[in-house]
Amino acid sequence: MTTETLRLVTPETPWRVRSKSQLVYIFIASTLPAALTFLIADQMKLAGLIALTIVFLPLQLLAASLAALITVGKRGILDAILTVSVLFLMLTMGFLLGSVALSLVQKGFKALSFHAIYQNSFYVTSVTSLEYGGLGHALVGTLVIVGIAVIFAVPIGIAVGVFLTETQSRMRGSVRFLSQAMTGLPSIVSGLFVFAFLYLTGWVQRSAILGSVALFLLMLPTIIRLSEEVLKLVPQELRYAALALGAPRHKAFFQVIFPAARSGIITTCLLGTARVIGETAPLIVLVTYLPSTNFNPLSGDMASMPTYIYSWLKFSTDLANQRAWGGALALMILVGVLFTLARFFGRKRF
Amino acid sequence: MAKSQESFDLVDLKLKVSGRGDRLFFGFSSVAAYFAFSLVFLIVIFLGNASFSTFKTQGLAFFTGSTWDDAAGVYQIFPMLVGSVLCSILGLLISAPISIAIAYFIEFMAPPRLAKALTNIVDLLAALPSIVIAIWGAFVFAPVAAQWAQIINNKLGFIPGLQNTSGTFVGSPFIAGWILAIMMTPIITSVCREIIGSVDKDLVSAALALGGTRFSTMRRVVIPTARGGITGGILLGLGRGLGETIAVLYVLNLVFIVNFNILENYGGSVAPMIAAYYGESSEVGVSALLAAGVALFLITLFVNLIAQIFVGRYEKKMAS
Repeated sequence: MTTETLRLVTPETPWRVRSKSQLVYIFIASTLPAALTFLIADQMKLAGLIALTIVFLPLQLLAASLAALITVGKRGILDAILTVSVLFLMLTMGFLLGSVALSLVQKGFKALSFHAIYQNSFYVTSVTSLEYGGLGHALVGTLVIVGIAVIFAVPIGIAVGVFLTETQSRMRGSVRFLSQAMTGLPSIVSGLFVFAFLYLTGWVQRSAILGSVALFLLMLPTIIRLSEEVLKLVPQELRYAALALGAPRHKAFFQVIFPAARSGIITTCLLGTARVIGETAPLIVLVTYLPSTNFNPLSGDMASMPTYIYSWLKFSTDLANQRAWGGALALMILVGVLFTLARFFGRKRF
Repeated sequence: MAKSQESFDLVDLKLKVSGRGDRLFFGFSSVAAYFAFSLVFLIVIFLGNASFSTFKTQGLAFFTGSTWDDAAGVYQIFPMLVGSVLCSILGLLISAPISIAIAYFIEFMAPPRLAKALTNIVDLLAALPSIVIAIWGAFVFAPVAAQWAQIINNKLGFIPGLQNTSGTFVGSPFIAGWILAIMMTPIITSVCREIIGSVDKDLVSAALALGGTRFSTMRRVVIPTARGGITGGILLGLGRGLGETIAVLYVLNLVFIVNFNILENYGGSVAPMIAAYYGESSEVGVSALLAAGVALFLITLFVNLIAQIFVGRYEKKMAS
C-alpha cells in the first residue's frame, strides 16, 4: 500500500459539508413524518406495524425527497430515498433483534437464580416450582461436550492453518476450498454423519462423545479460516529472522510465530467455541437428554444447554416454558461472554 | 487478507524440511490438512452408504414423490425440498436488502465508532444459537407474524401465492422465511461489509468529487465492483438457510403436501423434517432420513461451493 505513505494531506470532502439551512430542512424532514404518523395512527386507531409501513414509510420518503429537492435539487432525491430506505431496513432488523433480546431478559430472568446454576433437574417436573432445580447438569454437559470438541478442533485447525501458510504444497488451494465449503455444513447433517459413521458402524456406543465429534466437525472450518488469517498477520520478517538465526522451522513456529499470533489464536478458539456452543440439531440426534449430572463423555446420556431448552419446550406448562426461557437466556449470556473475551484478546493485533 | 497472499510464498529461500522435528511438525500439519480435505468425501461416502438401501428401494420417486409413510415403507421428500427452497428464498428476499443496507450503513454512513460497534454486533449475531431464535420465534414472533400474514391476505389475497384457505396463519412458510432471514442476515452482512469495505475508497471519493451523488456512486461504482462478492455472500446466506433446523422446526407446520402459498398454514423443509421424524422412525425410516440428509448436504455443498467461487474470484480481483 504505497498510497498510504503518500497521503500526507487528508483530502477535503466538500460534498460532506452541510449548510445551516440544509440542517434545518433535514431536521424538519426527519421529525415531521414521525409526528404526523403518530397523529394519524392515533386518529384512525391503526396498529403499530401498519402505521409504520403504510403511513410512516411513504411519508418519510416523501419528506426526505422534498427536503432534498429544495436543498440539493433533483439529484438529491434518489440520495434521500437511499438514506431513508437504508435506515428503515436497518431498523426493521434492529427491531426484531431488540425483541429477541427483550423477551429473553423479560421471560428468562425469572428462571435464573443462584441455585439454578448449580442444581440439576433430576426430580424436577413440568409443574415444579422454580425454587427447585436448575441447569447445572446442562452447563456441565455443555462444558464436557464442547470442551472435547475444542481440544481436538483447535490443534487440528491450527495445523491446517500452518499447512496453508507455512508450506508451499500444491494442495493448499484445494484444501482451503473444500474446508471452507464445509463452513456451510448443515448442523443436522453433521449429526447424521456422525450417527452413520460412528454409531451405525458400531464403533462407538451411544454417548456424549458422539455429540463432541459432530461439534468438532462444525467448528473445524471456522478455526481453519481464522487461524490461517491470524498466522498470515504475523510479519514475514519475523519468520525470516528466526530462520536466519538457524532455527529449524518447527522451532521457528513454536517459539516465534505462534507466540506472536497467540492473542489471535485465543480469539480464534473463543469464536469457534461461541459458534458451536448453541448447536442443537446434532445433539438432539446423537445425545439423549438426561435430567441429572453426568461427567463421563464415554458412556451414558448427557444434558447440554441446547437440549435442556429443547426438553422443556416439549411441555406446555408455564413453569416449563419459564425454564426454557431461562436456559435460553443463560445460553445467550454464555455466548456473549465468550464473544466479549474473544474481542478482548483480539484487540492486540498487528 | 488476500493481498498478502503473494508475498507469502517462501519460494526464494528454498527452505528445506530438515530433521526429525520438522518432519514431525509438517507431517502432522499435512495429515490434518488432508483430513480436512477428505471430510467432504467421508461424509458423502458414509451417509451414502448408510442410506443406499433407501435410494435403491424408493428409486427416483424419493425426490419426486409426496408421500412419507413409515408404516408402509414409502419415503418421498419432494414437498420438503420445495419447501426448503421456498422458505430460503423468502428469507433471502427479506435478508438480502437488509444485509446490504446494514453493510452500506456501516461502511459509508456510520461514524467510525458506531461502525465498529455494529460490526461487533453483527459478528456476535452470527453466533446466535438457533434454539434461542426457535423459542423466540415460537412464543413471541409467530403470533405477531400471523397477524401480519392475515393483514396481507386480507388486502392482497387475490394474488396467487398469497392465498389462504385454512383461515389460520400460524406455521406458514411466510413466518419461517422471516425466521430464516434473521439467521441469514449476520452472515450476508459480514460478507457484504467486507466486500463493500474493500472497494477502493479513493475510487468512491473520486466519484463523489466528480459531482456524483451518493446514490449514483453506489449504483455506478460500489455495486459494479462488489457485485460478485455480494452474490457470493447471498449464496452463503442461502446455504445457511437451507440447513437451518431447529429454528424452523418450531415455526413451520411440516406437512407432506407441496405448497406454494406462502401464507397457508403448512409447508416443508428438509432439515427440520429430519429432526422431527428422527425420534419416531423405524430403522428403515432412519435410513430414509439419512438419505434426506445426503440430499440436503449435496444441495448446500453445491450452493456453498458456488458461493466460495464467487467470493474467491472477487478477492483475487481485489488483490491484483
